[in-house]
Amino acid sequence: MLQNLVKSVWVPMKPYYTQAYQEIWLGMGLMSLIVYKIRSADKRSKALKGKIFASSKGGGQKTPSYFLRTRCPMA
Amino acid sequence: MNENLFASFAAPSMMGLPIVVLIVMFPSILFPTPSRLINNRLISIQQWLIQLTSKQMLAIHNQKGRTWALMLMSLILFIGSTNLLGLLPHSFTPTTQLSMNLGMAIPLWAGTVITGLRYKTKASLAHFLPQGTPLPLIPMLVVIETISLFIQPMALAVRLTANITAGHLLIHLIGGATLALINISATTAFITFIILILLTILEFAVALIQAYVFTLLVSLYLHDNT
Repeated sequence: MLQNLVKSVWVPMKPYYTQAYQEIWLGMGLMSLIVYKIRSADKRSKALKGKIFASSKGGGQKTPSYFLRTRCPMA
Repeated sequence: MNENLFASFAAPSMMGLPIVVLIVMFPSILFPTPSRLINNRLISIQQWLIQLTSKQMLAIHNQKGRTWALMLMSLILFIGSTNLLGLLPHSFTPTTQLSMNLGMAIPLWAGTVITGLRYKTKASLAHFLPQGTPLPLIPMLVVIETISLFIQPMALAVRLTANITAGHLLIHLIGGATLALINISATTAFITFIILILLTILEFAVALIQAYVFTLLVSLYLHDNT
């Protein structure tokens, strides 16, 4: 099956995949980076909301320190 | 009622497994591969249509731009067939999903920009400043041109998503209104039904036009950079 796939797909498309679409591969890399950044930010914010909710349910507990953590090195 | 209106845009699953990939791959089955020198009528019509479209679209391009011929023709065929299949009742249209359209727009736009920066760096950077700009306006115009460049993939994706989604929503709403009016007033229901038919004809046109516009814009961005 793999041999058939190579013969019918890879062999005719090789010049496109290796030469003509080089910039499009870079564009796909950029898109996957954007998707990764959005997903990780979403995960981080959901985890944060979960922790804040859990701490507020606990009642009177200290706010988690990473709530105040920022990317700024001065903070 | 509200939940039902947007239910058709939810990603479909069968027995808990997502089948979006199968739905995205389905339109390719409808385009048979020419295997003979002289093919049957269906394949001949398909070849004639593709030749007509590719001639018109690639006329403006130089040799470098024409290496994208396969990509542009595949793009217009895929978007056109997906949009048209979405007009079947109760079907799922992948191009209503912004994620899908961004997944098409960002790599293609980035590909054109990187092609321009790689092969014609000065000419690509010169696009940030239109010819004949007065000196005091230069800094502001460079900022504006940069913003308009980065908005291009977003506009491409959102344009397709919004047009197809809006059309489907209108068909749902007017179809629902027609059904609701049957028991109230037959004449009004009939007029609403005529509007529904006209809207469906419009949606057929919009499906093809949006595929053409998406591909044409990618082609124009490529032309600017090659």
